Amino acid sequence: MFDAFFFQQLVNGVAVGLVYALMAIGFTLIFGVLNVVNFAHGEVYMIGAYAGLLAITAFAPPLFVVVLIALAAGALTGFGLERIAFRPFRRFRDEASLKSKAMREATLLSSLAVSIIAREAVELVMGSNMQPIPQEYLLLQPVEIGALTFARGQFLIFGVSVVSLLALQWLLNRTRIGLSIRAVANNPIGAMYVGIDTNRTIIATFVIGSMLGAVAGILVGLYQGTIFPGMGFTPGVKAFVAMVMGGLNSIPGAVACAMILGVSEALATNFIAQGWADLIAYSFLVITLVFFPTGLFGAARERI
Amino acid sequence: MNGSRLAPLLALGTLFAVLPLVLYASGSGYAFRVATTIGVFAILTVSANFITGTTGLLSLGHAAFYGIGAYAAALSATGLGWPFWVTLPFAGLVTAAIGILLALPTMRLVSIHFAVATLGLGEIIHVTLLNWVGFTRGPMGIPAIPGIAIPGLFKATDVGNYFAVAVVGAIAVFAIHRLTHSYYGNALRALREDDQCAETMGLDIVRLKIEVFAVSCFFAGVAGALWSHTTGYISPNDFRFNESILILAMIVVGGLGSIPGAIVGATLLLALPEVLRPIGDYRMIVVGSVMFLSILFLPRGIFGEVSALDLVRRQFGAAWRRDSRVGWR
Amino acid sequence: MKLLKTLLLGTILAIAAQAPAYAQSKAVVIGYQLPLTGDNSQYGTMFKNSAQMALEEFNKSGKLPGAGVEIKFEDSKSDAKEGVNIAKKFSDDPSLVGVIGDFNSTVSMAAGQVYAQQKVPQLSQTASHPDFLKISDWQFRNITTMAIESPFIAKWLAENKLKRYAVVAIQNDWGQTAVQNFTDAVKSRGNEITATEFFNPGNRDFRSILTKISRTNPEAIVLFMFYEESASLLQQRVQMNVKTPVYSASPSYEPKLLQLAGPAANGVLLPTTFVADNPDPKVKAFVDNYRKRYNADPSMFAAQAYDATNIMLNAVVAAGPGPTRQKVRDALAATRNFQGVTGETTFDPKTREPSKTLTRMEIVDGKFRVLH
Repeated sequence: MFDAFFFQQLVNGVAVGLVYALMAIGFTLIFGVLNVVNFAHGEVYMIGAYAGLLAITAFAPPLFVVVLIALAAGALTGFGLERIAFRPFRRFRDEASLKSKAMREATLLSSLAVSIIAREAVELVMGSNMQPIPQEYLLLQPVEIGALTFARGQFLIFGVSVVSLLALQWLLNRTRIGLSIRAVANNPIGAMYVGIDTNRTIIATFVIGSMLGAVAGILVGLYQGTIFPGMGFTPGVKAFVAMVMGGLNSIPGAVACAMILGVSEALATNFIAQGWADLIAYSFLVITLVFFPTGLFGAARERI
Repeated sequence: MNGSRLAPLLALGTLFAVLPLVLYASGSGYAFRVATTIGVFAILTVSANFITGTTGLLSLGHAAFYGIGAYAAALSATGLGWPFWVTLPFAGLVTAAIGILLALPTMRLVSIHFAVATLGLGEIIHVTLLNWVGFTRGPMGIPAIPGIAIPGLFKATDVGNYFAVAVVGAIAVFAIHRLTHSYYGNALRALREDDQCAETMGLDIVRLKIEVFAVSCFFAGVAGALWSHTTGYISPNDFRFNESILILAMIVVGGLGSIPGAIVGATLLLALPEVLRPIGDYRMIVVGSVMFLSILFLPRGIFGEVSALDLVRRQFGAAWRRDSRVGWR
Repeated sequence: MKLLKTLLLGTILAIAAQAPAYAQSKAVVIGYQLPLTGDNSQYGTMFKNSAQMALEEFNKSGKLPGAGVEIKFEDSKSDAKEGVNIAKKFSDDPSLVGVIGDFNSTVSMAAGQVYAQQKVPQLSQTASHPDFLKISDWQFRNITTMAIESPFIAKWLAENKLKRYAVVAIQNDWGQTAVQNFTDAVKSRGNEITATEFFNPGNRDFRSILTKISRTNPEAIVLFMFYEESASLLQQRVQMNVKTPVYSASPSYEPKLLQLAGPAANGVLLPTTFVADNPDPKVKAFVDNYRKRYNADPSMFAAQAYDATNIMLNAVVAAGPGPTRQKVRDALAATRNFQGVTGETTFDPKTREPSKTLTRMEIVDGKFRVLH
């Protein structure tokens, strides 16, 4: 029997999953290349949303331009982030340093510290409460197909995710910079020996990853209608879970797992209270780490 | 008296004699409260340091175990009417047991995966505390937790709280100090530096990890119990991810792997916001910046044992330098 | 490197010197602890605005001859740790006779333990936890608890001939008490609650919840949450084409809700103690002044803070010249028929619970309108 409510939950879940997916792509890219968790990715997402809002309130450009501005803001933020939080820890180029666990811990902590500072700074400047997005831009109108209701925003998010994924695959496989990214991700020392400029590659990775994160931010802002400085934390964590589930190095894997995560969360609310459904993501995380250490889709790694 | 004995005696003297006298003379309940809070967090940070700094297992969910200890003590004190000298060890044991149970599946994981798993565990525990309303009263919290008092003997006072925390703190620091400055500690440090090598040398790393986790959770639970009794009211809000980050910041600022560093880190990061009260809005930015700058410029922390950067270079230079003391102080 | 280390250590020593150096004041001092930064800072700002306005009017009116009154604001960041520290700090100040605050019940109750011990009267403008007043005789509040508001909503629903309701509530102490009181009231009228959904604070996506409760076919949706989550839910409700009427609680009386939700907020019904359009001259003066000074319309929370400050100030005056903490506490307990902008307030002589009147409102065309 066609249970409309069940399918509606599926639709909800897919929408949520796509948001996580957009974040997960950028996250995975950075992790794949640098082998460090970028705790500040959630803040990049948030900054993209605020940049879009500022643009809208300043000179009300069409939607397309707003997205471009968010992209630019993301690129700038990514560049700055790399400079401030990650570059100082790559002072040493020797093999042991690059592989050192302690080094990775230090970068993780420094990105964490930077994320705190960034969030507090935005809170100071813009206030910690929610900011509304002017009504004309909101993608709220319902679109009814049969018994199901979609929002225009969901289609846009879906479209942008697909385009991003395809564009990224093209970038990674058909361009020079994509080649160097893959090389550095595979073997940073070897890439250096072969003459690839690792610094530039890492900057490029950050810029691309942050652009994706920022676009995710503004799209979700338009879809949900309001933004606030703390909005980056939860999607950041969920993106991270998706990445780990997908097998740290695989972008399509991360996207697939983000969808699974979103759908599971939505379906779970059918049976248990929303409060407990929050546990889903974290439980998935722990279960994946314990039973599928290489992720559901990932390539084998030497050691976890 | 030679130098190495003097320092701890001085510290004990300050803790039990000089500091309380100064605080009492100032007549300031506020100062006592800040000192007590620093004490509780010092115990917490020392326990977190044991697992993160000495053993190298980055734990991002430590506040949740602190929370379990606090709830265990609060529930047993208000529900079962146990006095504080029973609830304290009880809380420690419960937290250690739950800690081992929850972490057992993650014992095989290393570094970033372990960190993320602890993040997940921390959030799971927090959500449980918040939503299991029937047992923990959820967001209503637990009010009217009896203080550090023995009916008939002495009532709960600022001084009493302070001394309770000081005594427990001294015991905790002593225990962890003995554990780290011993062959056992050497084994842990070996685990931190390279667990594959350590395993090759014959150390049972899974067992070591479990033991370290148990000890660390025990003291975190005791710290939580102390918090319950000295504050009188707890709610799940006190034990979120933010607190874990705060603890982490304390360890990093004070220095990974060093006990005086943990205490100094706790003092700094709790006292700094109080001193900076006048500048109000900018407080959290300053705290975040302090953390960031410490990582950058003082990679060893203030008293750090391990520097992320020096460590590596030392390892390679050690073979050629005769007088090098690789490792700990 | 050494310089940095010595600098940091020096800071620590400087802290020790800070402890007793809290400035003592000649005027009568009232402490106000509120969240100026952190999670609920938007409410803290409102409280500070209202309190400062109230204080200025009071000092100008010369009701307390001889001495002025000063309010010391301290930021509690909605953190119980900070709340307790501030409580200790305030208690140490001998010129401080009373405290207003905090915003959420958890912080108020943690701080309340200190105030109870140190015997400082504490008046919270918003703490609605049922156990708050039970801490000691020194706790007061001027907000109606949900024990009064929830049955009011249940009665309203019944009068509108609606029998089946779905409840969406925030998982905090306020949400819990609201739902409990509402459930009891609904049951006693013989009506039905088809679903109760709690969500964790910070959640902004209500689509799953909306789908789940729609399945149970309620005649009305009742919201127990603050305005930000309400705005998200209302917008998502439009997105999902859910037509069920929405009833909300008094925290939704907040001009920013209209801004955030836009046309999605139209049709929401809610009770409130504060009505900005009230022709009563007191209310009008308050609203006009607030608008002029702060460029924003006051919400129920701002009005609560304004009244709380005035109640405290009145108690200081009633305590006579040379007010002590005990006298202020007794004066607070004796508050009867205090005319404020949120209506009349009386503290019950035994339980110290406030009693206030509620008004019904509806959001029409992007504005709040009183229903008669």
